[in-house]
Amino acid sequence: MAFGTELTAVVIDDHPAVRAGVVHWLSSGSPPIKVLAEGEDVRVAWIGDGARADVVILDLHLNSTTPAMGDLRRLTEAGRRVVVYSMRADDDIALQCLELGALCYLTKAEGDEHLVEAVRAAGGDRAYTPPSLAGALAGDRSERRPALSARETEVLIEWFQSESKEFVAHRLGISPNTVNSHLERIRIKYAQIGREAPTKAALVARAIQDGLIGVSDL
Amino acid sequence: MTDLARLDGTDRVLGIVRLALLVVVAAIQPALSLPVVDSTAGWAAFGALAGVTVTAACWVVRGRPVPLPVAVPLAVVVLAASTVATWEVPPDELFGGRHWSFGLAGWHLLVLLVDRAALAATALGALVVLTLARVATTAPTDRGEIGRVAIVVLSVISFQLATLALTRLVHRRARQAAEAAAERDRQAQRKALAEQQEADQRIRFAGQLGATLPLLAAMADRTLDPRDDTTRQRCVLAATQLRRLFAENDDVPDPLVHEVSACVDLAERRGLTVALAVSGEPTPVPTEVRRELTAPLVTALVAARTQARVSVLRTGEEVRVAVITDGEPGEAPASSPRVGVECHTLGARLWMEAKWRSEPS
Repeated sequence: MAFGTELTAVVIDDHPAVRAGVVHWLSSGSPPIKVLAEGEDVRVAWIGDGARADVVILDLHLNSTTPAMGDLRRLTEAGRRVVVYSMRADDDIALQCLELGALCYLTKAEGDEHLVEAVRAAGGDRAYTPPSLAGALAGDRSERRPALSARETEVLIEWFQSESKEFVAHRLGISPNTVNSHLERIRIKYAQIGREAPTKAALVARAIQDGLIGVSDL
Repeated sequence: MTDLARLDGTDRVLGIVRLALLVVVAAIQPALSLPVVDSTAGWAAFGALAGVTVTAACWVVRGRPVPLPVAVPLAVVVLAASTVATWEVPPDELFGGRHWSFGLAGWHLLVLLVDRAALAATALGALVVLTLARVATTAPTDRGEIGRVAIVVLSVISFQLATLALTRLVHRRARQAAEAAAERDRQAQRKALAEQQEADQRIRFAGQLGATLPLLAAMADRTLDPRDDTTRQRCVLAATQLRRLFAENDDVPDPLVHEVSACVDLAERRGLTVALAVSGEPTPVPTEVRRELTAPLVTALVAARTQARVSVLRTGEEVRVAVITDGEPGEAPASSPRVGVECHTLGARLWMEAKWRSEPS
């Protein structure tokens, strides 16, 4: 996204009502996010106006019982910034999506605030960690999980439990900004263990640029 | 009855048979054989057989089988003694009154080998072959003589084989009976256990109803006014506790989340907006601990005014149930040695968490 220009998105979901809702949420934000295309099929992200969109909002179950992991992989490999927006709340799927290079995994139980914030973050090559994803990361017992510090784990747990960064900051005696940087650092750690994807490289580059991590941390 | 005791029971049957055989041998050897032993070699054979009886008695009187490494050499001794004694008998007296060893040696073999049917039968066969070898060397020509020998050999050996077969049969039946009895015992035990568990559960259930019964009694006595807010709150608490208690006894794969959902369900029916988030893999949590983990949740949900967020998190080491509501901070359940309860307020929000360490770190 070039500075000063409007952030754009493409919405892929097989339910028209969900698409309409997402479009409304995005366009009524401040500043509004422009939806270039929407559709029930991942093709809208590849051809036409959708191919130019900064952020892809992808539902995982598109008229099918199997999650569209292949579509997600192809999008992230092409360097697209993807926010997964799914019905499913199971941790495994969420962690898999992160590994495939999604910048955020949101469940549909989570509201507009989180979605808008996730799309904004993705537009700036940043990861966003909503509370449900924080829970999945905190409960992650897989062998490949990165080593998190005690404080990082605490932040994840508190954020999962309270859904309020002010609350987390107050509980842990830190500033809300520190809460954010902890969450971002955690996501960088996850990005580093995942498969190679241009979006991940961009995420890590962004983190270095912002001074979140040093090159020596890699 | 344990397996060991059951084996003891069936072994006792064999022990009695062995003892009986020993008594037979100990009685017939001196009573029937002593008067007819005459030669030196005959006396040696007699002594050897007596020695075998005494040696075998060391184990048999204690109810144990003669160990194989002892029984086999002893059986060889018996066969040798029997052969020597047989060769001492004049050919025309074979299987007659003076052939004392033939009827006797078979019983010795049975005392030694009754626990091992195949070996016993083989040894008896060897005894017959050795004895008949003596008959063959004397080459009897008289048909009547051969017939008489055959009848004597058959009658003696078949009696001994029949004893062996009967012993094995009784042993097997005793074992089957013991197994059947053990199975019956196990079933009875299971039934008793199930009844005990049911009784325990009933008692526990009655204990859990604690908050409900005084409330109902007080309303029935009109000491509590149902229009009163406090009374209504107590009713909500009792209802939530009951709902959770019913859920506790359901057979589900993830009992903790099931119980938490039951509490959430009741809160939603009261018109609250409740978000439930569950993360981490299901971990087995003991019933008592589940009760302690959900107690703060029940309290917080009852106090909630319009909304709540409930979360269940299982990491490798711990299980946390947390709730954040817009309710008044009531009296939070106390921590226990197993479950730590934390309570925190920020502005109008109340946060409560119950934490259980599933693995000592």
